[in-house]
Amino acid sequence: MSQGAPLLTLSAIDKSFDIHRVLEGVSFDLAKGEVHALLGENGAGKSTLMNILIGVYSADAGSLTLEGLPLIIGKPSDSARHGIGMVHQHFRLVDRLTPTENLLLAADDHPHLKTRTAARNALLATAREVGFTLNPDCPVGELSVAEKQRAEICKVLALGARILILDEPTAVLTDAEASSMLGAIRRMAESGRSIILITHKLREVVGFSHRVTIMRRGKTVAAGLDTTQLSIEKIASLMMGSSASSVAPSSTPDTTTSSLQPRGPDLLAIAHLHAQRDDGAPALTDVSLRVRAGEILGLAGVGGNGQHELVETLNGIRSASAGSVMIDGADALEFPPNQRRQLGLRVIPADRMATALASDLTIAANLSLTAVVRGRFGRFWLNRRRMEREAKASIEQHDIAGARPHGRMGLLSGGNAQKVLLAREIDSGMKLLLAHSPTRGLDIRASAAVHQRLREAVAQGAACLLVSEDVEEIMALSDRICVISAGKITGELPGDASAADIGRLILGHE
Amino acid sequence: MSNFRLTLERRQQVSTLRSAATYILGLLVGLGCGVLVLLAAGAPASTLMDDLVVQVFFSARGLAQTLTLAVPLIMVGLAALAAMRLRFWNVGIEGQLWLGAIGATLVANNDFGSEALRLPIMLIASALAGAIWIAVPLLLKLKANVNELVVTLLLSNVAYLLLQHLLFGAWKDPVNSFPVSPRFDDNEQLASLGFGNLHSGIYLALAITLLMAVLVQKSRTGFYIDVIGHNRRTALATGIPVTATLTLMILLSGALAGLAGGLIVTGVEHRLTQTIGINTTFSGIVIAFVARFNPLAILPTAIALAGIYNAGSTLKVFYGIPDAIVVLIQGIVLLTLLMVQFFRSYRVSLLRRTPPQTARQIT
Repeated sequence: MSQGAPLLTLSAIDKSFDIHRVLEGVSFDLAKGEVHALLGENGAGKSTLMNILIGVYSADAGSLTLEGLPLIIGKPSDSARHGIGMVHQHFRLVDRLTPTENLLLAADDHPHLKTRTAARNALLATAREVGFTLNPDCPVGELSVAEKQRAEICKVLALGARILILDEPTAVLTDAEASSMLGAIRRMAESGRSIILITHKLREVVGFSHRVTIMRRGKTVAAGLDTTQLSIEKIASLMMGSSASSVAPSSTPDTTTSSLQPRGPDLLAIAHLHAQRDDGAPALTDVSLRVRAGEILGLAGVGGNGQHELVETLNGIRSASAGSVMIDGADALEFPPNQRRQLGLRVIPADRMATALASDLTIAANLSLTAVVRGRFGRFWLNRRRMEREAKASIEQHDIAGARPHGRMGLLSGGNAQKVLLAREIDSGMKLLLAHSPTRGLDIRASAAVHQRLREAVAQGAACLLVSEDVEEIMALSDRICVISAGKITGELPGDASAADIGRLILGHE
Repeated sequence: MSNFRLTLERRQQVSTLRSAATYILGLLVGLGCGVLVLLAAGAPASTLMDDLVVQVFFSARGLAQTLTLAVPLIMVGLAALAAMRLRFWNVGIEGQLWLGAIGATLVANNDFGSEALRLPIMLIASALAGAIWIAVPLLLKLKANVNELVVTLLLSNVAYLLLQHLLFGAWKDPVNSFPVSPRFDDNEQLASLGFGNLHSGIYLALAITLLMAVLVQKSRTGFYIDVIGHNRRTALATGIPVTATLTLMILLSGALAGLAGGLIVTGVEHRLTQTIGINTTFSGIVIAFVARFNPLAILPTAIALAGIYNAGSTLKVFYGIPDAIVVLIQGIVLLTLLMVQFFRSYRVSLLRRTPPQTARQIT
């Protein structure tokens, strides 16, 4: 698709933060009217590169050119003036305002959008052009994630973006929503805009982009390859380096190891569970589930259908309004988290930094947190030396890169932070593991390691309830699959069910 | 467009040396600004060093007075630390202190207990009264999620009105024209150490500081405090006894503030007056911050601040400099210390812009 001179070129970009070199001579070019996928593992430098392009960071060395002329971007408004816009994973929208008002708020440099009617019309015109339906008058807080995303994209386009950076646009969407979004992305490109698509999903790259640039550890390992010449396996091997495709998701081993295990007794039995959201609306209505020893039960569904509340209710930090929860045969409904843990419950929550770890404390403290509660390091006085010794051993055993017992938890990358959490939770007392989106935000290699830990855990006789919005993850790991929609279990499928069957159940009750 | 630009980078790791150096620098800058304020208010430059340092720390009388002032400051510093480590904003330390003083006086006025045990009972009563006073905001926080800032602050006013109500009414000393309670008996006073006004309460303050250091740094509860203070949701989800830890530490905070009041009336005033403990909420918070919430560091911090207070009264008598100046200096030191935290965590550098070959102006 690249015809003639590129529209935008970034060449030989260097960037360091303190002592860490994040980008080293990275180059990237974008042609008019193309979808250019930018790939790389977590920490490869994609976000830093894009943040330099939109003016959040400035490069230490290197140059940017737009239409052949040097481009100087000192602050985010400079990039907006040149027609470069970015849609972040966390939308830049004010929840209490409508999409129209959000556009007005952002239209400082656009006098023609300064009235409510003008902004509303611009938004609707943009939506029509890319084929979105959009309600410009409903407060953003009441929109679904997909609607918010469409509002954000329309806002950025209405502000005159001709180069659009999309950061993992499909990460929060259902499969059906994702394909409609990818279709819209193609249409935007066909209408002459240029799209930089940051994604982890290789299937989207192969199906929807014209060219691919791959980054690894702050360098470009493949620049502007034609997508039609590439296979998923080839891309995976470029992304991961030498020991490549064996860990790519398409070739991960299936669930044979765990399905050989004999199924044991119910370690988790939930019956007729009801719970409410923070605002009092029902979150769970009549949820019943059983998870037996030696199996992974995958709970699929679009985010926001009660998964968060289910995990919190099972953890013991949200009270159920009715129903029963039995953990390893004991009625745990009234139990606080501590007593549930004594029954063998372990939890990997979706937002690990917010509800499972303390980023300002040391890694040793985070690794030994639950053991301290159990009294392992002393009833009144803590044996800190022993804590450190065991933390050191744990770091070595689980190969947590860059971790020292005294180091601050918050400095670890997402994948290593998850390793810390898994090392802590998967211990000898574990009987039931509750894992919610355990690979969210992790790269392929780290995800594969997490999946491996989950398989090993059930192979040793634990039960695992895997709550995930990623159907591929559910399919790769589950022995049985349940689907949750609007707070209800809408069906159960065997572990080898097809994506289409699961998708039908997920969408059937919407 | 200028040829230079400022950049800001977060330091990945901060060495202990850098940490200490920035802290000391901040302290010096803050004290320096404080001196400028004093000069501007009319203190003579020639004797300032003598008034501020020599007289309050290196003369026997001055040091005795400084240490006497430091006793309640140590207690309120620990009280602020106990609550703030859990991110509980106790801005009613004054109120708990007044209640503590009232509690001790109640015991003395009514001669509760045997004469030999009177003094310990008074001190226990002061701690209990302080704890009861903070139990109200604590309960409201735990049961109804009411913001403790508002409740502790307002209850201080209630406590002060209660204090005045007693001093102008039921507890007024009939032989005195001032609103003060009758003088305590000798067995209701802390022993004087024969060094100025310094009394045996300083031993109690030292012992409690040590106990607090052990609690915060060595105990299991101390570990819980760290986790709850840094991430409450994690603490809840991992089964840490959040409510129990919070209840213990907040009641302790109130008790320490109450005990500060008890130590003032039994050690220095020997009666209840309406001038005790003014501004101690602010002092306690400043001390806890400057000591970086480390119990052992509370000691030197409180003594240094007591020195400033001591010098303040000299300056007031000789040069007519108002009390408020001392509060102002405290505030300046707190602000500079908070600001240097920024330079500790971030690197600020001025870079020359790499001149592009043909700079295109933004259209």
